[in-house]
Amino acid sequence: MPRPDDLPDFKTPPLYEVALGVQFTPTTGYQQVRVGEVWALFREDFPSVQEVAPLPPTFETFGLPQGGRVGTQINLRPMPGHSRYWFISPSEDELLQFQQDRLLHNWRKVGDKTNEYPRFDALIEKFEKELRTLETYFSSLAPQSLKINQCEVSYINHIEIENSASVASAQDWLNFVRFDQLQPDDFAMTFRRVIFSPEDKPLGRLIYETVLALTENNETIVQLTLTFRGAPAGTDINAAIDFLQYGRRLAVQSFKEITTDMAHQKWGMVS
Amino acid sequence: MTAAQVRRRFRFVKTDDASENRMTPVGYLMTNFGQKWREPVIKRLNELVALQSGWDGYDGIAVTFENAYFAVGILDACCRGDDPTPQIVPGASGDLQIEWHLEKGDIELHIVAPNDVHAWHVDVNTGFEGEGMLLTNDFTAVVRWIKNLTEPTRATVPAAS
Repeated sequence: MPRPDDLPDFKTPPLYEVALGVQFTPTTGYQQVRVGEVWALFREDFPSVQEVAPLPPTFETFGLPQGGRVGTQINLRPMPGHSRYWFISPSEDELLQFQQDRLLHNWRKVGDKTNEYPRFDALIEKFEKELRTLETYFSSLAPQSLKINQCEVSYINHIEIENSASVASAQDWLNFVRFDQLQPDDFAMTFRRVIFSPEDKPLGRLIYETVLALTENNETIVQLTLTFRGAPAGTDINAAIDFLQYGRRLAVQSFKEITTDMAHQKWGMVS
Repeated sequence: MTAAQVRRRFRFVKTDDASENRMTPVGYLMTNFGQKWREPVIKRLNELVALQSGWDGYDGIAVTFENAYFAVGILDACCRGDDPTPQIVPGASGDLQIEWHLEKGDIELHIVAPNDVHAWHVDVNTGFEGEGMLLTNDFTAVVRWIKNLTEPTRATVPAAS
């Protein structure tokens, strides 16, 4: 799948992690006791496994204009029955996350952080194959297909602040930050935007999260996460892939929009 | 599809009323931006996802977690902090219904699955005897219905002489 020509491109983007994910209705006939069968489907590429806490169901819904859900917690009792499993590649830079209602494929920087990003087009091709493999497995348990109810694509960037003594220099990189004479110790910001179709129907939410952080090497960074999440137009894999490709386009365009010209130069923007 | 049709397709059993008023710790209120409906709804949903199989005397199963989470998502999208707390009624197939029965009319949202909601409302003031809609993730219409059923009736202002 070729990269669209009109998308901004960078030679050395501050990209740290990319995640493509879908959430689906738990399938008939599958129980946690079968997780080894699921791992076996992917074990050749992901030979290590790790068990982590499950993600709760997440849905983007639309109505009131003020987005009253910011910061709210649902606090339903924990879901019974299934952990989340990380199936990890030999180089540990790719992982497949699986639980009874989710599949996510992550790429991330590891080690000395010089591992090259394989690019979205290669990642989504892999993810589509993994989804089809999982669907085939589920259909062997009972006649059924995946009913995907939510998709998300996330780009996590680590922007190194060169003048780390001054947190205010974050405004050199992010054009929505302006501290002027204020010298904050740290900052964190989240804002959200509903994305509408040409027919004025809400398609999903684009979520911008920025937080000042320290790396393991004590370098000051701004972690900038752009996530697009929502319901695909249909419940099948094709609709999910379309949604993720659209979300990638939004996230990449938004990244360009909210970062400064100086940052673009530094990261070698080529288009 | 009307609520009556929905009822013919699904068995609904009304249990406790979720609208009881309860005191909540200050910290909880702060994280919930003063949504009065939130705590009783969460309490009720926690009961419904824990229902035993056959809870209705037949083959009823508990409300599914995904439907319970989606229900909260709907209420987050539709309800202001002081809107009335709805009743939450379980269906027999893991589904559930959110209902407001108010002086000025009724609203019923039947969550069959996430993004698959059969909505119905009656508004005594406007003369609607029932409006059925299929909704997915956009609940703008429900916001309007709740507003119409909860805002005070406007008094007629005499024209200045």
